[in-house]
Amino acid sequence: MDISTVVEGLSAQEKKVLLALQQLEGKASVADVGRRAGLDQATVMRAVLTLSEHGLIEVFEKKISKAILTPEGWGYARDGLPERRMLVALASCGSEVADEIAARAALKEDQKQIALTWLKRKGWAEFLRREEKTLLSITEGGGAALSQKTPDETLLELLSAQERNVDELPADMKEPLRTLVGRKLVRLEEETQRELKLTTIGIQALELGIEPTEEVSELTHGLLMSGRWQEVKLRRYDVVAPGAPIYPGKIHPQQQVIDELREILLEMGFVEIRGKIVESEFWNFDALFQAQDHPAREIHDSLSLSKPERTKLPQLVLVKRVAAAHEHGVAGSKGWGYKFNTDISRRPVLCSQTTAATVRYLASHPEPPVKVFCIDRVYRHEKIDYKHLAEFYQAEGIVMDPGLTLRDMLGYLKQIVVKLGLPKIRFRPGYFPYTEPSVEADVYFPEKREWLEVLGAGMFRPELLRPLGVRHPVLAWGIGFSRLAMIKLGIDDIRDLYRNDIEWLQKRRMI
Amino acid sequence: MPSITVSYRDFCKLLGKRVKQSKLCERLSMLGVEAEAAGDEIKLEIAHNRTDLLSPEGVARALKGFLGIEVGLPRYEIRPSKVTVEVDLSVKSIRPYIAAGVVTGVKLTDDVVASLMQVQEKLHASLCRKRRKGSIGVYDLDTVTPPIRYTTTLPDGLRFVPLDFGRELTPAQILREHPKGMEYGSIIRDLPRYPLLIDSRGVVLSMPPIINSEDTRVTSKTKGFFIDVTGLDERVVNKSLTILMTGLAERGFRLESVAVKYPNKRIRTPNLGPQKWCLSARNANGFIGLDLKPVAIAKIAKRMRYGVANIGGDVLTLLAPPYRADIMHEVDLIEDIAIGYGYDRLEPTLPKVLTTGERSPIERISDKARRVLTGLGFMEVMTYTLTNPHVSFELMRAKGDAVEIANPVSEDYTTVRNSLLPSLLSVLRENRRNPLPHQIFEVGDVVVLDEKTETGARNVRRAAAAVIGEGIGFTYIKAAAEALLRELGISWEVRATWHPSFLDGRVAELVVRGKRLGLVGELYPEVILGFELEHPVAAFEIDLE
Repeated sequence: MDISTVVEGLSAQEKKVLLALQQLEGKASVADVGRRAGLDQATVMRAVLTLSEHGLIEVFEKKISKAILTPEGWGYARDGLPERRMLVALASCGSEVADEIAARAALKEDQKQIALTWLKRKGWAEFLRREEKTLLSITEGGGAALSQKTPDETLLELLSAQERNVDELPADMKEPLRTLVGRKLVRLEEETQRELKLTTIGIQALELGIEPTEEVSELTHGLLMSGRWQEVKLRRYDVVAPGAPIYPGKIHPQQQVIDELREILLEMGFVEIRGKIVESEFWNFDALFQAQDHPAREIHDSLSLSKPERTKLPQLVLVKRVAAAHEHGVAGSKGWGYKFNTDISRRPVLCSQTTAATVRYLASHPEPPVKVFCIDRVYRHEKIDYKHLAEFYQAEGIVMDPGLTLRDMLGYLKQIVVKLGLPKIRFRPGYFPYTEPSVEADVYFPEKREWLEVLGAGMFRPELLRPLGVRHPVLAWGIGFSRLAMIKLGIDDIRDLYRNDIEWLQKRRMI
Repeated sequence: MPSITVSYRDFCKLLGKRVKQSKLCERLSMLGVEAEAAGDEIKLEIAHNRTDLLSPEGVARALKGFLGIEVGLPRYEIRPSKVTVEVDLSVKSIRPYIAAGVVTGVKLTDDVVASLMQVQEKLHASLCRKRRKGSIGVYDLDTVTPPIRYTTTLPDGLRFVPLDFGRELTPAQILREHPKGMEYGSIIRDLPRYPLLIDSRGVVLSMPPIINSEDTRVTSKTKGFFIDVTGLDERVVNKSLTILMTGLAERGFRLESVAVKYPNKRIRTPNLGPQKWCLSARNANGFIGLDLKPVAIAKIAKRMRYGVANIGGDVLTLLAPPYRADIMHEVDLIEDIAIGYGYDRLEPTLPKVLTTGERSPIERISDKARRVLTGLGFMEVMTYTLTNPHVSFELMRAKGDAVEIANPVSEDYTTVRNSLLPSLLSVLRENRRNPLPHQIFEVGDVVVLDEKTETGARNVRRAAAAVIGEGIGFTYIKAAAEALLRELGISWEVRATWHPSFLDGRVAELVVRGKRLGLVGELYPEVILGFELEHPVAAFEIDLE
């Protein structure tokens, strides 16, 4: 590329830098060029990059070292070095006892130690131990020092006025500098300084004549309307340079999985219902035919409440029917054979299973057909760790219609997982306290190459249905929602579902 | 679910047939027993209701039927022994029931000892409800001299040496000092007298439900067992004994019954007679979705270890084995028929139940709120509803009333939130290190106490949003709140108000038909600093119900 083409392609800033450098006789620091051209350093450096690429200028980098006072150094610059303060006090107070002198000099304990060390090292005082005390006396050198600043003090003063480049310090300050750095009163800071120099090509380019053109970076309303857009030069962008990423506002990943599942169930004709966070033991357990002394009802499994203290029971006839099912059985069942206690039924708990919601729905909708689902939080008495949460989502659904069978149940489970994009499912017997027969379904996850248990299902027991007035079979299924969400989102720690790290939320792609 | 471990080698011996380990695990899973093998050891997960499967003998017995090695009702021969148990009147209000039996011809191998210890432990934990409803004692038959008395003693009464303890203790001392006494003492501690089993020579057998005596310990030389189960629940007492003894019979040991003399009646235990149940083939087919003939169902029932007493047209009379404690209703038999048929052979079908899917109204509104707020560039977060008063109230400079947990697991989670804002501020605190500004929101439930409702509290769906950073304050967050209300089709009014969590003069209430729907404002500096935040925060929270 010949020089004139290069000059043609230069931006306004680049031209300004070149001209400034010429005015500074072809050689100057970045800061000086910036001042002369009226540009900030970052702009100069951007221009320098292009100019040096084209060989118009050369950049020399120089490492310089700066001497800067530390906070301790600042203190001594103000108050005097501890050994100096001690010396002055020693000369004036008449005592020989080190502790008393230090007190007179208003030195703290750590400063006193420093002062003693340096009095000795500088040969300003002689030390004597007597009766557990340290006694001091001024030496000849100490006497001389009283009327004269030492080089390290001179340097301290110098640096308190202005930080200095190490190179610029007088030769006799080298030794005191080492001392002060050693005493951590001064620190050295490395800095890179760039110096710019015109090359021969640069000089030739300038000889061709460079006119600073007006260049604008943004197209504005004013430029458009005045027609000036035709005259000015719009700066060319580096269109391939990467910029800072931006992220959209997003639905929470776990909510996205909930939405996906909800969509599937709605498509399958299920009606969505909602549960209660505070539930009575009647609906959470009794109505599900879980005996009042069932281990799952123990204090270690569910979260019981001290406020509210009590719940109201539903209508008496329903309570009586449920109690009868427990005590001696209904519909040909033998029952649990114990005395039902309505005080227990009235105790409030944090809902521990979404079945409470579906059974409530059945009680108020005993006639077929019924097809409802519920995706809600349930609560357990669990210590939170990577596998367990005290509150988590459960997804559950029921279907009631005359003539429904266990095989129909399997059909629903299969359809749900197929719609989730997981084609392989297998069934085995399971156990749930309120279904019979019960089934567990394992689903094959290709990304994990594993069969995992994610669905449990069954047909509600007659002891549960009859007191509610339901006379047809009811299929019920539940999804281990957290496990499904973790697999879908590729996380191994269940707590991540609620961690809400904004960076993670921003970077996670939507499902 | 309870789990037990069995030795593969011992298990094959019990089956009387060598079955490949992988096949064994697969078949067990189809029987409803999840199996995981590691070397010779197999870990089995047993369903809560199948207490008869809590031993390798019990599982092998079921699997023998399932594999067709031995089908039908297991027959256990039992002879009457000369041992009697005399029940004292005083146990009636203490621990009223006892069942006992004798096992002879015992050959104690390591497998038998391991299994016997395991089945006792597992039965105590499950069917016996931590020894409250029932507790089992096994003794060396040769160390006891019948008749045996089931009676009671005062807490500082008879001293004896409890198992694994070198010296004599009184019953009260056992509760205080013996590990088992400390573990199970609460069952009897407050009773005036403690249960005691003692033989005719005055040798103590045990103090149920706590501990046996050292004198009657089972050793490697033991040739026979005396077994007792005492408890509060007669059914559990009898079932536990039956499960234990029929399991030992599977090992080839001989069973003998014991006469139990109550003050007012005399019985013999254990009762190993089957339980008679009727099963309608139509019901079974209807429930499962099959079309099996009664004879085919009978064949399956036998594989599930039922006896078939009669087939009369549609109705089968089944004899359920005495050790089954889970059969309550015909559906329990039907499940066994389904398992016996094979879950892996059941073809899924899909019925046409004509319904129309329908979103819940509140979820529909919530979805819309999410769309609006993400459209405004807010990021959704999802937080716990469990919280504590420090976060909910103290840090917010507010007072309030919330649902309280009686048995919290940790101090961090003792209440249920009644506002979303503290949750959002906690999220911002967790994100202090991420570059500002942040705009976040949550659509979720809070719970408010409400005496008028059935459960004393109700869920309220709310939407809340917060922004943190310089130069985005009241004007912006109010505009966002108003955008949400506008899109939800609500007409609102803004009124100046005061609230301790917000800066005075920078908080407003959003009012709909005279009712406060929510608040919007800039948070009070103490609230911001309380959540360890260092930049201004503006937020709103509104009710979606």
